[in-house]
Amino acid sequence: MKKNTIYTIVLVLFIAAIGFIIFKYNNDEKRQAAAIYSLQDRKAIAQPEEWESTRKRADALLTAVKANPADTKSLNALAGLFIQEARVTGNYVYYDMAAMKYINDVLKTDSNNFDALTLKSLIYLSQHHFADGLAAAQKAQSINPYNAFVYGILVDGNVEMGNYDSAIAKADKMVSIRPDIRSYSRISYLREIYGDYAGAIEAMKLAVQAGIPGDETTEWARVQLGHLYENSGDLKNAEMYYTLALNARSSYAYAVAGMARIAMAAKDYSKAIVLYGKADSLVNDYSFKEELVDAYKLSGDNDKAMAIANRVIEGMSKDAQQGQNNDNIGHYADRELAYAYLKVNNYDKALEHALAEYNRRPDNIDVNETLAWVYYCKGDFAKALPYAAVALKTGSKNPTLLCRTGLIYSKTGDKVQAKKLLQQALMNNANIAVNLKADGINTLQTL
Amino acid sequence: MQSTAYRFSVRGCFLLAALLLTSHLFAHTINYVLEKAPTGHVVWYYLKLGFRHIIPQGFDHILFVIGLCLLSTKIKTILWQATAFTVAHSITLALSMKNMIVAPGAVVEPIIALSILFVAVENMLLTELKPWRVLIVFMFGLIHGMGFASALNETGLPRNNFFTSILSFNLGVELGQVAVIVGVFALIIFPFGKKDGYRKKLVYPLSILIALIAAYWTIARVFL
Repeated sequence: MKKNTIYTIVLVLFIAAIGFIIFKYNNDEKRQAAAIYSLQDRKAIAQPEEWESTRKRADALLTAVKANPADTKSLNALAGLFIQEARVTGNYVYYDMAAMKYINDVLKTDSNNFDALTLKSLIYLSQHHFADGLAAAQKAQSINPYNAFVYGILVDGNVEMGNYDSAIAKADKMVSIRPDIRSYSRISYLREIYGDYAGAIEAMKLAVQAGIPGDETTEWARVQLGHLYENSGDLKNAEMYYTLALNARSSYAYAVAGMARIAMAAKDYSKAIVLYGKADSLVNDYSFKEELVDAYKLSGDNDKAMAIANRVIEGMSKDAQQGQNNDNIGHYADRELAYAYLKVNNYDKALEHALAEYNRRPDNIDVNETLAWVYYCKGDFAKALPYAAVALKTGSKNPTLLCRTGLIYSKTGDKVQAKKLLQQALMNNANIAVNLKADGINTLQTL
Repeated sequence: MQSTAYRFSVRGCFLLAALLLTSHLFAHTINYVLEKAPTGHVVWYYLKLGFRHIIPQGFDHILFVIGLCLLSTKIKTILWQATAFTVAHSITLALSMKNMIVAPGAVVEPIIALSILFVAVENMLLTELKPWRVLIVFMFGLIHGMGFASALNETGLPRNNFFTSILSFNLGVELGQVAVIVGVFALIIFPFGKKDGYRKKLVYPLSILIALIAAYWTIARVFL
């Protein structure tokens, strides 16, 4: 066969291959656009009545959407239901994708639909696309400046982006429009950020009182209240609130994990392992697995700990990769991955992920804490210092933060600041990671 | 043959243009840290990022550039192709970062792999530079530019140094490409280019190897 003929055949095949790639992509897109996402079975059913009513509501909404794909009200309601279901089950990958699909369907026909924009910003926040979430919420706010819910999202977005003053202003506005569980819990969170634990506990109590007992939102607030007590060193009250949450909502994973932390504080690692395992079996949340890693390490089972830690990294990376292939899923998990890599002593990868998150949110105190801690673990103390300083800028009294930054200041030779921070961190005997606490105590003795 | 190849090349252009026009737009990522950094720091950061995107991270781009070098031993040949590729990827990189065009990764990445496969196969069929090869390389450059944009988007860009960062990234990419070209000339073309059997002993085996790797990538990026 002549070379010219071969060349022409190659060229035809090449163009056909391009055509196929584009055709396949368009087909996949169309399939995705036409896809109907329904409710998935829960791993565990804490509240059978609530699950039944959720299922009935989802069925009714799906029927409405199938009958009329332009029914924006039902599309938004379905998206809202999926967002809540993601919270309950921890299956963010599936439900974020499903909710985003229905929201985009609404925004295609009405780009200024307030509800859709609000829900979209909520999903962006859940995917840790905080700048995008904030931008969408600001657009929603410009459409309806009298909606408390959107101010809540603005509080969250501003906190995550490190705009704490704006977050306070939005929280004030939110509570002035509607004092409820959502606004009180945000006020509590802001007070905690500014180091006012007593005020944070007071606001979170108001949040719990404003909610309906047994509702996921109420019990989430109750668990947060328990966690505030844990950070204040009052483990009795913490345990009480976790127990109350479990009474109101049996097998509530976050309350089970709270009980596991209490067991860790009592050095009852085998009980903690059972409880973390239970929490992990109830919802998909990598944080339980990470805590399980610590529990196994402390119980002396390093092999098991490393195996779980590697599975966490694998799972998180897989989820992040899925996001690159599907615009509706994209989830930034760099901060979480940084901590996960620290657990397997891979400091370079931890730094890579910590820096990726820092580039997106240089003003957020948690991100600065992460980066500072990664540098500390790498032994690069001088580099850790400026980030530690930023992490302390709001005056947070979070004992983990205080202990970590105290250790950093100690290593860089600022004994006065180190002593002050470590004393604050340890004075109430707060429930923080066992090894961190031990390092803090040992260092404090040398200062 | 020229007219057939040219016609197909133009058809390919239309296919891609149709895809780009139907794509929906989204905002690029903002790098907030570099917004506070001095311009010199920004330039150096993106220059390194661009270079690293080729060496060592861009194995596919390295294979593509090696493929371009293997067509002929004449420096003029590689210069024509490299220029076409550079101009093209600069255009789409800038347009992508300005959100004027967006092509999904699910399309761009397999076509990048396919472009490497095509160049490798073409090296076994051609012995000298033809005008349509320059056109095809230009088209591939357009696609690779969108791939660069996707990589750049992961890091984000400072709004106050938007064009400076794109230009610096592009310059880094160019330096990476030049390094690959210099490497190919130093290790392959200058020592062996004038020897008998150069094409049979080096160009064909290397092209086959590149083609096989690219074929695997194409399949993996479409189906896996």
